[in-house]
Amino acid sequence: MQEFFEFFSFTDANIRYVTLGSVLLASSSAVVGCFTLLRKRALVGDAVAHAVLPGVCLAFILSGTKNPFVLLLGAFITGWISLVTIDFITSRSRIKEDTAIGLVLSVFFGIGILLLTAIQHSGNAAQSGLDKFLFGKAASLVGEDLIAFGVVAVLLLITTLLFYKELTLLCFDQAYAATIGFPVRALELLLTTLTVFAVVVGIQAVGVVLMAAMLITPAAAARFWTDRLGLMLVLAAIIGAFSGVAGAFVSYTAPAMPTGPWIVLIVSMIAIVSFAFAPNKGWVSRLLRKRRNKILILEENLLKLLYQLGEQKQELHTPHPLQEILQKRAIPRKQANTGLRRLSSQGYVEKTTAGWLLTGQGQRRGERVVRLHRLWELYLTQYLHLASDHVHEGAETIEHIITPELEQKLMEELGFPVLDPHSARIP
Amino acid sequence: MILQVENPVVEVHDLTVSYDRKPVLWGIDLTLPAGALVGVIGPNGAGKSTLIKAMMDLLPVGSGYVRIFDKPIDEVRTRISYVPQRESVDWDFPASVFDVVLMGSYGKLGLFRRPRKADKDAAMDALQKVGMQSFANRQISQLSGGQQQRVFLARALAQNADIYFMDEPFAGVDIATESAIIELLRIMREQGKTVIVVHHDLQSATEYFDWVVLLNMRLVASGPTEQVLTQDLLEQTYGGKLTVLTKVGELLKKQEFPSRES
Repeated sequence: MQEFFEFFSFTDANIRYVTLGSVLLASSSAVVGCFTLLRKRALVGDAVAHAVLPGVCLAFILSGTKNPFVLLLGAFITGWISLVTIDFITSRSRIKEDTAIGLVLSVFFGIGILLLTAIQHSGNAAQSGLDKFLFGKAASLVGEDLIAFGVVAVLLLITTLLFYKELTLLCFDQAYAATIGFPVRALELLLTTLTVFAVVVGIQAVGVVLMAAMLITPAAAARFWTDRLGLMLVLAAIIGAFSGVAGAFVSYTAPAMPTGPWIVLIVSMIAIVSFAFAPNKGWVSRLLRKRRNKILILEENLLKLLYQLGEQKQELHTPHPLQEILQKRAIPRKQANTGLRRLSSQGYVEKTTAGWLLTGQGQRRGERVVRLHRLWELYLTQYLHLASDHVHEGAETIEHIITPELEQKLMEELGFPVLDPHSARIP
Repeated sequence: MILQVENPVVEVHDLTVSYDRKPVLWGIDLTLPAGALVGVIGPNGAGKSTLIKAMMDLLPVGSGYVRIFDKPIDEVRTRISYVPQRESVDWDFPASVFDVVLMGSYGKLGLFRRPRKADKDAAMDALQKVGMQSFANRQISQLSGGQQQRVFLARALAQNADIYFMDEPFAGVDIATESAIIELLRIMREQGKTVIVVHHDLQSATEYFDWVVLLNMRLVASGPTEQVLTQDLLEQTYGGKLTVLTKVGELLKKQEFPSRES
């Protein structure tokens, strides 16, 4: 707990830098990732992330230093070569894109691990810390490193925003973009380059193995909450930044821990929560909608039954005991009771000593359900030419979802009918 | 019956297009008159979409060239507009109806510039023309097929171009949308615009178009509707593919042969 306050009071300059760095890296890759995701190139991001490792190692071997600019350059070059290779394989052979991605990812990463192992066994003292590129170490993001990675991250954000309109159209409708004279190939190249850069700056914090998660997961999570691209970018950036800070905190308090897996766990948790709780598209909200529909169906069925019982006796204003309702239609007793109590609290029914009684309001609503049921039966027989003994089941469902506008239209199309196919009166 | 016109808006010269070395269009020579409603008609796999895509330089061509308004296409990009097939995009994209229509202004805006009030007004105006103004803020995934087609049409209208290429705008739309679209096309023709429509329904073709291009891997006919839609020409178009032509195409692919020597 003490560490928590120590970290989040930001009194230590180092902590400030590490936090700032993580926020920049994570949010810039999340924003670029939105476009990568929308262009359906999420897997490509993963391949690039793995392919930067040989670049980092080669840059170190050739230069002998851990200067961040040199390592960045190496990472950029092999990351870029991997993308070109994927495109080349896909366009020049019968191999499909997913296979090409798999091939490139494993070959480049294999070479990377080979080089890394060679460096580690070379006895070169300067090599210590190079392995942090595998799983990331946000806490080492200070001094020269921070400046280098921070500048690239800011440039990434600016470029993405400058080309917002162009990238959007490229992702949505590439052919159309080409016809209005957009330099589609150049824009593709730009997005590719942005993706590579996003990966390259992110690996310092997360590591090559898990970098794809930083690119794609915030975008995927943000997509659940909004249908607006602008807002999606902002949300992805916030989600990315939040996980970045959390990762930096873990990296600070537990130096032995690799940062990458922690950041990925946190961002994945956010994605899972989004999947479950996002409005409309989320799992919980769909479950609630299902439940609401079920309640609506039960309540309307009860009102309908009471109305039909009254219809039989030609007297709507008489109470009916629960037993009588359940005889007409087998509803579990407990469910029926709960439904009736809810209806009575809404003022549709009243409980009397002799049973349940429809109020005026309840009569109207029950009548409407019966009307819709019979109208729909008539519609099915007249317009779909169904036999009159085949229409009841369908009408049982449809009677609950027809809107007043559709009801009006049904009435008009059927010519304000009086009788349904079973010669029952349409109220 | 291939009629060439004076001062054409579109001139296609000896155009051959191949997919994976197999030619799908053989040596098309075609000119289209200004201010016409042109229907491109032929069976499935005849290369109708390929032809209009090649006209707009969306595909690499094996031979030949296309000139629009007597200029290379790259010089007249702002004067042409494309309505792609509805299925060619992912409608689950995070955008509203208005966002998509506003894309019609992107070409004239060029790089970096954001749409301004005049562009937004033009987009709203275009939405009104297709009867979708009340849907402006709707997420595009919530649209029906006909509504999606109207949105694409509105985007093209917002471009205010002189020549329009439309790929199957009537495919899978309701009758109301179909008649709304044809009404719009007629208004556009009266304003002197040229509209080139890929179409597959022969029945309505007579009624809709005043110029028809019959296509089946090669140009069968091009001319005024009543002269082109004859029993004989239709039989040539729909009477199966030319067996030898198809076989030669497959051979080119198999042997990895170029369609031109140089």
